[in-house]
Amino acid sequence: MSILGKIFTWWNGATIGTSLFTSRRGEKVGTDAQGNTYYRSKNKRDLNTAGSYSGGERRWVIYEGANDASRVPPEWHGWLHGAFDDVPESNLPPARIWEADYTPNATGTPNAYRPQGALEMGGKRARTTGDYEAWTPE
Amino acid sequence: MALADKDRIFTNVYGFQDRGLKAAQQRGDWDDTKALIGRGHDAIIDEMKASGLRGRGGAGFPTGLKWSFMPKESKDGRPSFLVINADESEPGSCKDREILRHDPHKLIEGALVAGYAMRARAAYIYIRGEYIREAETLQAAIDEAYDAGLIGKNASQSGYDFDVFMHRGAGAYICGEETAMIESLEGKKGQPRLKPPFPAGAGLYGCPTTVNNVESIAVVPTILRRGAAWFSSFGREGNAGTKLFQISGHVEQPCVVEEEMSIPFRELIERHCGGIIGGWDNLLAVIPGGSSVPLVPAREIMDAPMDFDGLKELGSGLGTAAVIVMDKSTDIVRAISRISYFYKHESCGQCTPCREGTGWMWRMMERLRTGDAAIEEIDMLQQVTKQVEGHTICALGDAAAWPIQGLIRHFRPELEKRIEEHNAKFAEAAE
Amino acid sequence: MPKVTVDGLEIEVPDGATVLQACELAGKEIPRFCYHERLSIAGNCRMCLVEVKPGPPKPQASCALPATDGQEIRTDTEMVKTAREGVMEFLLINHPLDCPICDQGGECDLQDQSMYYGRGATRYRMNKRAVTEKYMGPLIKTIMTRCIHCTRCVRFSEEIAGVDEIGAVGRGEDMQITTYLEQAAEHELSANVIDLCPVGALTSRPYAFEARPWELKKTLSIDVSDAVGANITLYSKGREVMRALPRINDAVNEEWLSDKGRYQVDGLMRRRLDKVYMRRDGKLQAAGWDEAFTAIAEAVAGDKGSIAAIAGDLVDCETMFAAKALLRACGSNLLEGRQTGMAYDVSNLAAVNFNSSFAGIEEADAILIVGSHVRWEAPLVNVRLRKAAKRGAKIFIVGPAWDTTYPAEFIGTDLAILNELPSHIAETFEKAERPAVIVGGAGLKNAHGKALALAAGWGAAFNVLHMSASRMGGLMLGYAQKGGIADIAEAKPKVLLSLGADETDYASFADSLKVYVGHHGDAGAHAADIILPAASYAEKDGTYVNTEGRVQFAEKAVFAPGDAREDWTILRALADALGVEVGFDSFGELQSAMIAEVPALGEEGLADYGALPEADKNTRAEGEISAYPVRDFYLTNPIARASEVMQRCSSELLHAGELQEAAE
Repeated sequence: MSILGKIFTWWNGATIGTSLFTSRRGEKVGTDAQGNTYYRSKNKRDLNTAGSYSGGERRWVIYEGANDASRVPPEWHGWLHGAFDDVPESNLPPARIWEADYTPNATGTPNAYRPQGALEMGGKRARTTGDYEAWTPE
Repeated sequence: MALADKDRIFTNVYGFQDRGLKAAQQRGDWDDTKALIGRGHDAIIDEMKASGLRGRGGAGFPTGLKWSFMPKESKDGRPSFLVINADESEPGSCKDREILRHDPHKLIEGALVAGYAMRARAAYIYIRGEYIREAETLQAAIDEAYDAGLIGKNASQSGYDFDVFMHRGAGAYICGEETAMIESLEGKKGQPRLKPPFPAGAGLYGCPTTVNNVESIAVVPTILRRGAAWFSSFGREGNAGTKLFQISGHVEQPCVVEEEMSIPFRELIERHCGGIIGGWDNLLAVIPGGSSVPLVPAREIMDAPMDFDGLKELGSGLGTAAVIVMDKSTDIVRAISRISYFYKHESCGQCTPCREGTGWMWRMMERLRTGDAAIEEIDMLQQVTKQVEGHTICALGDAAAWPIQGLIRHFRPELEKRIEEHNAKFAEAAE
Repeated sequence: MPKVTVDGLEIEVPDGATVLQACELAGKEIPRFCYHERLSIAGNCRMCLVEVKPGPPKPQASCALPATDGQEIRTDTEMVKTAREGVMEFLLINHPLDCPICDQGGECDLQDQSMYYGRGATRYRMNKRAVTEKYMGPLIKTIMTRCIHCTRCVRFSEEIAGVDEIGAVGRGEDMQITTYLEQAAEHELSANVIDLCPVGALTSRPYAFEARPWELKKTLSIDVSDAVGANITLYSKGREVMRALPRINDAVNEEWLSDKGRYQVDGLMRRRLDKVYMRRDGKLQAAGWDEAFTAIAEAVAGDKGSIAAIAGDLVDCETMFAAKALLRACGSNLLEGRQTGMAYDVSNLAAVNFNSSFAGIEEADAILIVGSHVRWEAPLVNVRLRKAAKRGAKIFIVGPAWDTTYPAEFIGTDLAILNELPSHIAETFEKAERPAVIVGGAGLKNAHGKALALAAGWGAAFNVLHMSASRMGGLMLGYAQKGGIADIAEAKPKVLLSLGADETDYASFADSLKVYVGHHGDAGAHAADIILPAASYAEKDGTYVNTEGRVQFAEKAVFAPGDAREDWTILRALADALGVEVGFDSFGELQSAMIAEVPALGEEGLADYGALPEADKNTRAEGEISAYPVRDFYLTNPIARASEVMQRCSSELLHAGELQEAAE
């Protein structure tokens, strides 16, 4: 990512300010499958600062790529929101074989769900009242 | 004082003698039936009224009065019919069976005389489907009587034409109800009809019909021969005559016995059944008239007179005089629950309260049996029985409700005890 | 006239009335499920309990109790209230609480009455009963768990329909309503049990999960599937007719409706003509109205009078009058409605009318039917005949045997038997007090005169049973030539206007320009040179005259699809194209003109056709009735033929046996 991009955009990864803040106050905790990096405050002094309503430590994520909150997988979501203290790898039971891989919210992308009858699905809607079948010769 | 042997009507109720026509004639049946008929329609009915005979099928309606409802003459050419109810299916009842298999000629002669009195063209004997041997016996007796010219054209040389037909049921309790029996005879589904019209106005095939119990008909010739005064000398006022009692359950010798009406319960048991198993202190309760009447607890029944009015005062009824005796080894709740199941199974399903109510009552009883209920549900069950009773087309709804009402009336502490025990057990388990 | 007191109000009730009727006369509502005015009394739901004095000290079923003088009836006491609550509770313990997915929801007796007469909550905590579904054919959907065993359906099929199709098996809690061996209910009135069912146990299969009653627009209409003119209500949602239900009219259909009249409405959404078509190079191609009108005008250019009109079976009187006015303005009188070529004498309309009236035929005590399969040609008249038979009428039928629902004697297919009736029949009619003769479509051709003579001889009521909804209206408007349709063919018109005529043989009009004004793509459209899309009976106001001469109005329920227009507007526009003046510019004006010409069409009710013509005693009937005109009850008109439901009925109920045979 170019330095110009870092200066003028905010939608990919950390901005310069956040990077500075993270390098000074943050302590890296782990990385998820998508490469998002998770931090918590290094300094216990920050305990009761903003973003820590319950008095717990401050936790944050720097995305690898688009800043889309739905890219946080459920196990890290739990950690981020203080549901448990340890990192997910050591805290949660191992993933079951029947568990599907996590996918971010697809709304707004070509992969988004579209109901039958939507134009993208060919526009074939179910029959509704008033629809009639016209006669055509042969 | 007990009924003397000379005063017994059913002299062959135990089958010690032959059941055939010859033996029956030796016992006095078919003795100058022509003369009985010769007395005339109304004279016979008056004699029956004077005898005070009340219907033996359970309701206890005066038989002579019932006959007098039949039309004196046919205005539109419709014949009249006599239907004899031999569909004895009430749990505990077994008197008609003894008559049918050991004394069928009493019934056939009674049918002729009664049929003549009410100007009926024919008698249909509707016999319970399970009575296979009895049906054979009865049919044989009917054939004998036809061959001897006792019934049929010019029956017993009286100049009166009278036929007797036997019809076998298919095993439905409800077909013992008079209008359901008529429906079943007509070949339809056995479901009670609405009254009015009463059968005396429009019954079998729309013709005037009287439905009588086997015992009511079988005693008629003897009453006529020995006189109304003789018959009414037995029993209390309004409960005249002799009666076949059927005692079953926890007595030393269960039996069917002909006794005088109004005999005290204690005497009936002591004299004929050899007492209660384990003595009188071991008696828990008695169902005095077949499964459809409420039970009576021991202390109330012991010295009560066994007749219509006497048992009515105890909140029960004589019914068919099928006395079911239960000693203290009985699980009384289970016994009533079983009776409830019987009514649930036999409800014809025509009208709502009975169709839905009998199932509800049985399920409730099953829960009370194990105690898996709340105390308030006893009151609810009582209300449900009240909702069934008196709201149905026929009396089966009442019959299903009464045993439960009797149980709640007399054994409520037992029900509550079970619920508490059950709850305690579960409370323990929860800890 | 017994006098009874209902809740303190003393009223007189007619002899033979029940306590329930007495209460209704006094303005008291009595809840009921099993009781129905037109069925026998069952008295099994026990919902109508009231307190009656003198009587036993328990509530009595009012539907079965005769009202007698001096009775004191209470409907508002505590005893009655608790009795109703009790019965309602029993009905509900085994009734599923599935109103949200039940098609009866919103028009359910149990729903309504439990709101008014039930307790607020249940006390039943055990499992509910479940009952397996029963198959009752393509029209009736069953959800038997909902059944409350009122036996209305059983009584209907036994008493009204006259077929022992539905009955109850099992007893007590396990009693189930079913058809015998779960065969389909095959009677042509079978769907009436859906209306009768007070709960959602029997619902309409084609209408399942389609709509809720409160979102439907109700339009009063007339059934055109046969000539009975049953009164119906069309229930429409948006632009679609969702269902048709009978309206109560004791003089016509009582409260029944034939399955065809009820279920052909889905045909209104299929095979519709929604564009103008013109035949170019031997093929029908879409075109514009102007082109079509120009083509017609060109065809009659120079000889405006060379135009004829044939009316179809379903058209209303206004359409026929509009066409008549158009032809008259052109100078033509070539009108015909009897599509199949019938040419009976119509100089006196009384001779082709059902003069007894439907209600009157019930009173007849001897009935001679000549060439009519009444069960298929007019199922609702068959109900009346069954009633007459139950009252003791003797019925004789000339024609091939069909399955009557009452005792009737078939006396052969040879019409000559009418000349020398067997003595027992002749005797029956001579002795009868109210004899009647019914001539059907198959008998009109050869036995019309003889039947008239027979009726005159016995003093019997003379009736003709037509099959098409437009017939009597058409005859009143002069849609008849002396020689029938052959006369029209002979005139070789340059333009033939076909008003929805689909049973006509168009081969005899090979040289004419055939203009089809109709709503369904059926035989007529296939043969046409120009198709002008028009409206069906649900899509226009109109007047219909049924076979007994009863004038009835139907209203417009929905709009016609696509480019289709109401018929009269098409004919009015055609008049402009032909350059003639018809004298009306609006539907109101059209109707006034029609009524001015035929005043009887302006008055609802039976039209007066005067006395029967003098019968010629020497006529003889000849020929044989080899078959009835209706070959397939479910497919008699273009709407029914387009209907999927009717097609399924036809293949499943009428031709199932043939399919089975073919498979074996």
